[in-house]
Amino acid sequence: MVGVGPALGALRLVREGLRQGLDAPEALIRGASVLPRDTRRAVERAARRLDGDYREDEWGFDEEFADLVLPFLDFLYDRWWRVRTIGAGNVPGHGRALMVANHAGILPWDATMISMGLLREHPLPRYPRFLVLDWAFSLPWVSVAIRKVGGVAASPFNALRLLESDQLVAVFPEGVKGTGKPFRERYRLQRFGRGGFVELALRTGSPIVPVAVVGSEEIYPKLGESASLARAIGSPFFPLTPLFPWLGPAGVVPLPSRWLIEFCEPIPTVHHGPDAADDRSLVLELSEQVRDTIQAKLLENVVRRGPAFA
Amino acid sequence: MAGRRVLITGVGSFFGGELARRLERDDEVEHIVGLDTRRPGARLERTELIHADIRDPKIAGLIAPTRVDTVVHNQIVRQPGPGMSPRTMHDINVIGSLQLLAACEKVDSIRTFVVRGSAGIYGAEPHAPQFFTEDMARLFPLRTRFQRDAGEIENYFETFARRHPGVTCTMLRYQPAIGAGVDTQISRYLTMPVVPTHLGFDPRLQVVHTSDAVDALAVAVRNPVRGPVNVAGPGTIGLTRMVRLAGRTTLPLVGPFFGPVTSAAKRVGLPVLSEDFGRLLRHGRAVDIRRLEEEVGFSPRFTTEMALEDWVQAPARAAA
Repeated sequence: MVGVGPALGALRLVREGLRQGLDAPEALIRGASVLPRDTRRAVERAARRLDGDYREDEWGFDEEFADLVLPFLDFLYDRWWRVRTIGAGNVPGHGRALMVANHAGILPWDATMISMGLLREHPLPRYPRFLVLDWAFSLPWVSVAIRKVGGVAASPFNALRLLESDQLVAVFPEGVKGTGKPFRERYRLQRFGRGGFVELALRTGSPIVPVAVVGSEEIYPKLGESASLARAIGSPFFPLTPLFPWLGPAGVVPLPSRWLIEFCEPIPTVHHGPDAADDRSLVLELSEQVRDTIQAKLLENVVRRGPAFA
Repeated sequence: MAGRRVLITGVGSFFGGELARRLERDDEVEHIVGLDTRRPGARLERTELIHADIRDPKIAGLIAPTRVDTVVHNQIVRQPGPGMSPRTMHDINVIGSLQLLAACEKVDSIRTFVVRGSAGIYGAEPHAPQFFTEDMARLFPLRTRFQRDAGEIENYFETFARRHPGVTCTMLRYQPAIGAGVDTQISRYLTMPVVPTHLGFDPRLQVVHTSDAVDALAVAVRNPVRGPVNVAGPGTIGLTRMVRLAGRTTLPLVGPFFGPVTSAAKRVGLPVLSEDFGRLLRHGRAVDIRRLEEEVGFSPRFTTEMALEDWVQAPARAAA
C-alpha cells in the first residue's frame, strides 16, 4: 500500500502539472514519479488508458483490462469459491473449439471461473470468448464490462464468426432456463435448446468440449421469482434469493460455495463435414450425447466435492 | 467496357464531386453528367453539369437525352445539415429517389445503378449480431424515421431491379464516413465542445475513411454486383477510445436526459444528433464486409481505427 506521505506528494505534483497547462494524463504520470514502483506502473497504465492508448479487438475484448481484474478473480477462485479444476488439458491449446457448460447462478460467474480455470491450469492458457444472454447488453456498465473480458451477445452469427477466426468459445445451451431455475432443481440440466451449438460446431469443424461446473448452482439459491418486477425492469426473470433483493446491493454478493470444474474429453466433429450441420438426427444425437456427458459428470462431481458450504 | 457514360446525382456534395473527379481521370469513362442544384466543390474539367432538383419530375426530360449507361445515386442525406429540416431531408431521400427511378424507367441505355445507401438500415440494437451481413436488414423493426426512409429507398430499388432484369443494381450500405477536411456526422460529433455520450455505455462503432468511401463507389461503377453490399473500414472501435483519441471530453448523460440535452444543444447552434445517431451512440453497429472484398473486389485501405487516427492527425499534418 502507498503511505500517506508519497500519496500527498504525488497529488501535489499532479496539481502543479495541471496548473502548468499539462493534460490530465501527463500530469498524472508526472505525479506518479514519486510513488513506489508498482503503484507508479498502475498509475501510468491508467493514464495511458485515459489518453485512448489501449487496444480492443473487433469484439471489444480488452486483454489489458482483463489482466487488470485478474487479482479480483484470483481472489474469488482461490479464497471465495476454492475452485478445483480437472482436465484443463482436454481443451485444445490452439485453434477453434467449442466449450459447452451447464449454466447456473443468475450472473455469469461460472463463465469467469471457467476462464480462470483455463488460465491457471492449462499449459497453453488463453482467454475464451463466451456467449452471454442478450439482455445483459442493454444494461449500462454491465454490457461494457462483459465485452471487455471477452463476452459477446448470444447470437449464432457471433459464435460462427468467432469459431471461424479460430477462437475458443464457451456456450451455455441451457440459457435463461438454466440461470433462472429454482434451487431445488440444482444440477438437473435443462433442455439444450434446439441443438444450435452442435450445428455451429459441425459447420466450423470445431471439437466440442463438455464442461461440468459444480458449485455455481449454490451461489444464488433462487427460492422464488417476481413476474411483475421482471416486467417492470424488462428482465427475463427477477429472482428472489435469501439475500436478494432484501439486502439491496449486498444481496448480489454470491454465496461462498465450494466449486469443482471438470473439462471432459473433447468430441471431434470435423469428420462429419460442414454439411452435417443440416442433418437433424445427427445434431440432436450429438446434443443429447453432450448433455448426458455433462449431467453424468455433474452428479458424480457433486458427490466428489462433498458439502457445498464446508 | 470502354466508353462508359455515367450520371452522378448529388454531384455538389463531397462524395459526388470526388467521384466525378476520379472518373474524369479514367479513360474508359467517356462522359460524366452531374446532377445537382449546388455547385460542385471539386474542380471538374469534363463533367457536364445539369442544374436541377432531384425531386423535380422535370429531371426525366433532362436525363433521357444524356444516353447514360450508369447512374450513381449519391443524393441520400444521412443527417440534416445546417438549415435543413428533417422534412426536407425525408423529401430528398424518398421523393428524390422515387423521381430519379421514375426518370430512369424509360431510359433503356441504363445497365448499371449504384446507390450510396446507408448501413443505418440495420439500426443499432443491444443484442444484434456484432457484424451485420447483407441479409440481416430486416432482422429488427425499422425504428427511426431515417431507417424507415432507408428501407423505403431500398424497396424502390429492389422493385426497379425486378422490373429491369438487364440492369445491375448495387445498393452500397455505408457506415458513417470520416476524413480530413470533410464535414460528416461523425466529425461534427467529435468536434463538439463536450461530446455527449450515454452514461454506462461504450458501443462498438465502425467508420469508413472518406477516400475509401469514394473508391468503393468508383470500384462499384466498374464492377457492379446485384443487391446490397456493406461498406466500412475493417474492425471496430469503442466510442470511449474514439473520443479519447480525438482528445475530447465526454459528457455522460443518463438515458432519459440524452434526447432533451442534445436537442437543447441544437438551439445554441451545436450539431444536431439525430435519433439514429443517438441510438448508434448507445448500442453501436458494425457490418461484415466480405461481400465488398470478395465480390466487388474492393478492400478498404484504412481500417476503422486507422481512419480515425488519420482524421485526428490531419490538422497537425496540415500545419507542418
